[in-house]
Amino acid sequence: MKLGLFFSDLHGIEDTYDRINSQELGVFLVSNGIYHAVLKENGKPSKILNKKGASFYVLKEDLHTRGFSEGEVDSRVKVISYDDLVDLVMDRYEKLAWI
Amino acid sequence: MGLKNKIMFVVQRPPYKSEDPKLALTHALSSGVTSIHIDEEVVPTVAFIGDGILNCVRDQKSMEAYGIISNERHIKNMLATDTKTLVCKEDIERLGIKEERLIDASDMGADMTIKVVPFNEILKEMEENDHLMFF
Amino acid sequence: MGMLSIGVFSSLVGSMDLDFAVRLARAAINKGHTVNLWLSGNATALSKDKQKEFKDYSFPDKTLRELIGKGLTVVSCEACNQSRGIQKEDMTEGINRASMDLYLAKAAQSDRVLHIGVE
Repeated sequence: MKLGLFFSDLHGIEDTYDRINSQELGVFLVSNGIYHAVLKENGKPSKILNKKGASFYVLKEDLHTRGFSEGEVDSRVKVISYDDLVDLVMDRYEKLAWI
Repeated sequence: MGLKNKIMFVVQRPPYKSEDPKLALTHALSSGVTSIHIDEEVVPTVAFIGDGILNCVRDQKSMEAYGIISNERHIKNMLATDTKTLVCKEDIERLGIKEERLIDASDMGADMTIKVVPFNEILKEMEENDHLMFF
Repeated sequence: MGMLSIGVFSSLVGSMDLDFAVRLARAAINKGHTVNLWLSGNATALSKDKQKEFKDYSFPDKTLRELIGKGLTVVSCEACNQSRGIQKEDMTEGINRASMDLYLAKAAQSDRVLHIGVE
């Protein structure tokens, strides 16, 4: 399946995430989920970003709201706008899950 | 366009502190009357994963304690209306809940029972449904 | 163009998830998609008329009204509204109320469903 997963928290959802696999997986980092794109907790990038084959996106407005900028985003994550999000959701990922 | 009427409800939070799990159950139960709006009914599947499996523990006495209908009652109604209901095997084992503590609705004449399945089977079910709703 | 249904259950004041839902709805409508918004649980507070804007809180009410004018369908859960003391006459014009079977029926007709079921 082509699944788009929405992350809106920093902690508490890893267990479900680790177990989800999909033929095509997009991970949308929104709200407090943006921290996965920029923080290095204990010196290491978020484990969320280690999932093989997944595409990662972070919402620009939510990044800026929390005091972070594009230059701090992990190279595996693409910065997107709400417009980009609509295109990805409507064209690429047929199922969506806000976990 | 054809209907995308297979909807999977995934409950991942424990009961009562939050309204979320109850809303998952009441939404799933309302599938049976969707045919007043569309040509075919919505076909629900309900899966309990993570701490959400705790909704499936039997003998909930929320009516006695707080005067509210229990999640157990809703789950029994789901089973009585033949809703496919899955609970994650790894999670009940992790939290130490034995299968005999899970809700059943045989006293209501239900043939359907909660099916204990590995997470991979829940994932397969996610692939087979049209839309996903995580609570 | 497609149809997107968004279901939201988060609080109006105390969570930013409703803002996210309304902004996503705006972007989708501006691109020509059809959007349905279902308000349930604490999110039904967004259906209430006469909200006052404070700069400490987000205020999706204004955008919501603009989007209703552009064709956004907004339905609020009737039981959730009534349990929170929101009567029909308290609701913003253009927002309907119904039971959850309507949301599921709309979901079945939609190309995409984004269900924000947790806070």
